[in-house]
Amino acid sequence: MALVNILLLTLAALAIPGVVNRTRAALAGRRGIRFLQHLYDVRLLLRKGAVYSPTTSALFRAVPSVYLGTALVAALFIPVGGLSPLLSFEGDMVAFAYLLALGRFALILGAMDTGSSFEGMGASREALYGALVEPALMTAVATLALVSGYTSFADLFTAAPQARFTVVLLLTAYVLVKIVFTESGRVPVDDPRTHLELTMIHEVMCLDYCGVDLGMIQIAGWLKTAALSMLAADTVAAAFGWPWWAAAPLAVAVTGLSVGIVESTQARNKLARNTTFILTIGALAALVFFSGYLLQLNLFVQ
Amino acid sequence: MTLYLLFILAAVAGLIFAVPVRAKSWTALTLVAAGMLAAAIPAVGILSGAEQRVALWEIAGPFGTDRGMLDPLSALFVVVIAIGSVASVLYSHGYLAHTLAGKSAAHVSLHYTALTVMSLSMTGVVASEGGYSFLFFWELMTIASFLLILYDAQRREVRRAALAYLVMMHIGFVLLVAGFARLDAACGSADFAALRGYFRTHDVLPLYLLLLAGFGMKAGLFPVHVWLPEAHPAAPSHVSALMSGVMIKTGIYGILRITSALAGLPALRTAGLVLLGAGIVTGLWGVVLASAQNDAKRMLAYSSIENIGIIVLGLGIGMLGYDAGNYAVALCGVCGALLHTLNHSLFKSLLFFGAGNLLSQTHTVSLDALGGAGRQMPLTGILFLCGTAALCALPPFNGFVSELTIYLGLFDGIASGSNVLTSAAGLIALALIGGLALLAFTKLYGTAFLGAPRSHCVAEAREVDNVRIAAMALPLTGMLAVGLFPQAAVGIVVRAAACFMPAADAAAHAERLLHPALAGVCRTAWLVVAVVALLAWLRRRALRRRTVTAGPTWGCGFTAPNVRMQYTGESFSEGLQSIATSLTQNSGEGRAVDKAEIFPATHNFDIRHKDKIDRLFAAWWVELLHQINRRVMRLRTGKINHYVLFALAFLVLVFVLSVLNLL
Repeated sequence: MALVNILLLTLAALAIPGVVNRTRAALAGRRGIRFLQHLYDVRLLLRKGAVYSPTTSALFRAVPSVYLGTALVAALFIPVGGLSPLLSFEGDMVAFAYLLALGRFALILGAMDTGSSFEGMGASREALYGALVEPALMTAVATLALVSGYTSFADLFTAAPQARFTVVLLLTAYVLVKIVFTESGRVPVDDPRTHLELTMIHEVMCLDYCGVDLGMIQIAGWLKTAALSMLAADTVAAAFGWPWWAAAPLAVAVTGLSVGIVESTQARNKLARNTTFILTIGALAALVFFSGYLLQLNLFVQ
Repeated sequence: MTLYLLFILAAVAGLIFAVPVRAKSWTALTLVAAGMLAAAIPAVGILSGAEQRVALWEIAGPFGTDRGMLDPLSALFVVVIAIGSVASVLYSHGYLAHTLAGKSAAHVSLHYTALTVMSLSMTGVVASEGGYSFLFFWELMTIASFLLILYDAQRREVRRAALAYLVMMHIGFVLLVAGFARLDAACGSADFAALRGYFRTHDVLPLYLLLLAGFGMKAGLFPVHVWLPEAHPAAPSHVSALMSGVMIKTGIYGILRITSALAGLPALRTAGLVLLGAGIVTGLWGVVLASAQNDAKRMLAYSSIENIGIIVLGLGIGMLGYDAGNYAVALCGVCGALLHTLNHSLFKSLLFFGAGNLLSQTHTVSLDALGGAGRQMPLTGILFLCGTAALCALPPFNGFVSELTIYLGLFDGIASGSNVLTSAAGLIALALIGGLALLAFTKLYGTAFLGAPRSHCVAEAREVDNVRIAAMALPLTGMLAVGLFPQAAVGIVVRAAACFMPAADAAAHAERLLHPALAGVCRTAWLVVAVVALLAWLRRRALRRRTVTAGPTWGCGFTAPNVRMQYTGESFSEGLQSIATSLTQNSGEGRAVDKAEIFPATHNFDIRHKDKIDRLFAAWWVELLHQINRRVMRLRTGKINHYVLFALAFLVLVFVLSVLNLL
């Protein structure tokens, strides 16, 4: 079952960017690029040589491996529906969060290693937003733990939750989708298509990577997005009691459509507003947690 | 006992003063290593479960027998002290070598004597059973560390910091003396063992809070942490490492001791809440202030405050869990706190040594003057990187294991429904602390070790000698051991954690809950290492036959970039500063470039982010002293007839009092 889990997660990771592109194209009235164009692009990158700035050290060259490696291992924790993931133990959600943090740590240091003011700017933003989104992620996962009574990803979604928690679970899923937006650098926090270095966050940190390195960073990004989207999809599936196979298409649909729609209809935030945006996610997560607690105590708010 | 101690002190001092200057460090190292071995061997025996209690010394004196007893809790601290002390004396050999010429032999001898006495007295602190001998060692430790800070006494800020330290420590000491005196008066004994009886029969909170304040002063709990960020940067780096890595842990030891006496009492809940609250505030305060600083040693000092916060938070969660009857939470909280104590001592020693390398090779720890030091000092760079990752609690290093254990307790408290709200508070705080620590220390590493050199000091720096690298590798070994074999590490602290939960079988709970989780952590850690290594190898293989060229860093088309344009530490944390302005007091010299200034002229600008609490303390004292002074000054009129009148009044007062039989 663990292999099916990995396969589904990989498929979701490969499909999400395609769905995002297609949604955007449809909303703009274009035909859009090939569904798997992003795969061809990365294949091209992986075949290339490399150019390195003389300012960078060996650390810079190690960063893509660390970033992709942590994303790979972190993805191994995520169950698809009620399937059992490859790695699972009590408290594995902490390991998941800190593996993502290790990836972020590597990427930030890589950006600082280039000695560029633009990359430092991106690194500083990434560090701040990452720090602020961490409590939101933990609180959302804690809500799941509260509702299910378990403390590992694999168990969180196996037990069918009571009907009264449906709303709480759906709200948690909403919080998780917002976290996906933040963590994968999408509008309204960050815009992957922006062309001005001053306003970039994630993209500017990768400016000096090319070829294989850039390809690895992109793959890691897909995996990270897919892992977090799968969590949101699992939560929705658990809320409605849907079967396990529903989670994977749901993850693709939820993230693909929501990211596509938001990017076609909204402008990105002013950078100063991003902290408020992320802190609001955290506050919302705390509120959902508290309502879950009240429900658990059987105190119904009139 | 005092007699024996004086004899030992005299012998240590005599030996160190007698040998030639070059050999003083090795003599001190031998003495410390011998002393630490003598204490650590029985300690390891206890921690491995071979023995329960071992007496280190037993001396009959005028106030009854004085015993130094090791139980699992003290044994854990003895190990922490042993590793930290040996590493720090070893490091001092290379670190002080270039300063020896400028100091008198007596000065150097005094320093090494204090260093030896410091590590021996810390062992005394954690082994003492009796309250008064504990206080004696405590005071000895304070004085020794005061002397250690004063190594560079010619600098004014060093003298200031040392004095502030001495004053703060003695306020704490008075609180402790008062606490133990109260205990003695009520129970007829000032031993730690008597605390339990006292708490059972008397009101718990006054004495508990009194002692907590006294110990918190040493540990650096909010709001009495203000001495820490002043003293650590002022002290030589090996002393900062010893103080930050080990000495403040004796404060934690005290807190643990008095808390363990509360097990099973109704006041445990209040104590747990106090500890949790103190931990959250201390941790967040420490990490926000750490990220605001632009001085590597000051950042590390604030991060010590943050880590003390995490330790106390873990202990608080454990106590709340125990009170709620959830022994799994209790075990996770306490084990996490104890393990984090060990972990923090390891990585903080390493990091302070690293900062010491920067200071001795580049003569600065200011982030704005550093940059690219990793290229000049590759070994220091790699070791410091490991320490930074451990500090940010990243796998596969040790910080991750202890934080995960605390998280496990928090999640367990939520999932089981026993301490939902307190655990959630702890969880949010811990997650935020973790995230901000990553911000603070990527700032430190990124600006100091990566990029291009911002000043010629770095460009001319050389790697340090091998002894110092060895001193740094010693804690690294421990860090990797804990990080890659977490079950063994937790197995060690479980015995100490059992002191806190007499009603439960700690080992059985650890077997059921902690061991499977840590086996998972262990698998994850190895897997990450393996996957990253595999990817790195594949990448290398792929690039072998392709063209790899060098080109300048992308500068957005700007043709004349220079090193001063790199992102500085100040700008790195600017985003956080803008939302955490209320915590710091910003003082700046010069004027920053105004937004409206399109073609800026030359600007000289220096900004410092000071702790608001620091000001609060200072302002309060100064205000009080000023007031008292004003009152007293009224008497000083400068007229001789007034002074004669005062003398007459005094004589009359004495006369009246003696007539009334009051003298």
